Amino acid sequence: MGGSSIAQMNHNEKKAFLVKTSSLKDVRSFCREVFEKLEIDQNLKDELVLAIAEAAQNIVKHAYKDNPSSNDIMVVEVSCVDNKLKIAFYDRGTPVDPEKVKHRELDNIRPGGLGTFFIQEIMDAVEFKDGKKPWINHLVLTKQL
Amino acid sequence: MTYKVTEEGDTSTVFLDGEIDMDKTEGAKEVIFPLIDAGKNVNLNLSNVQYMDSSGISVLIESHQKALEKGTKLIVKDVSKSVLKVIMMAKLEQILNLE
Repeated sequence: MGGSSIAQMNHNEKKAFLVKTSSLKDVRSFCREVFEKLEIDQNLKDELVLAIAEAAQNIVKHAYKDNPSSNDIMVVEVSCVDNKLKIAFYDRGTPVDPEKVKHRELDNIRPGGLGTFFIQEIMDAVEFKDGKKPWINHLVLTKQL
Repeated sequence: MTYKVTEEGDTSTVFLDGEIDMDKTEGAKEVIFPLIDAGKNVNLNLSNVQYMDSSGISVLIESHQKALEKGTKLIVKDVSKSVLKVIMMAKLEQILNLE
């Protein structure tokens, strides 16, 4: 997936969001603004925003499944060094077991199970790292631009 | 997300608007599902939907399957380029009735 891009500059920006479904549009706006600065083309920008929004949605939907009224925050950090884009997510929800993070088979048509597929399809790498205090989960998505 | 519904015979056309994510899917279902339950054919016009994530795609699948169960038809119409790309990424262009 993806297209050409011209992200020439090194960049780092992060922002905190409440872990709420209503924050997802703000996550998208934040990322769109950063990608504008990085001069990433529209096609790739749309894909990256989708991947990031799906990852943020997974935090709300899964890591905070048992605590939907929490006022916790999640942090999204976008950095670009030498044309390698890195998007990091930090949250304090239920620990993610990477072994259990799987998308559904595409020919098993049913609602759900596509978010992880979109992330994997769009990004080059998806890594669950150990969250350093105060964080519990630390997801890193990378893509070479 | 905003919406408008028009009626013509046994077909309802639902015009959705804006960005459809997890925060908006319940609203979309509340509009679409009762029409299908009432036995209506539903045209879902997405020309003004600029963004749809996996939650929105789930609404399309659920609506499509619900329509099949009820013996009606859901047609997804005038899909914007950005949403079509997501539908195609999910390989649903041959499953959903797109026009």
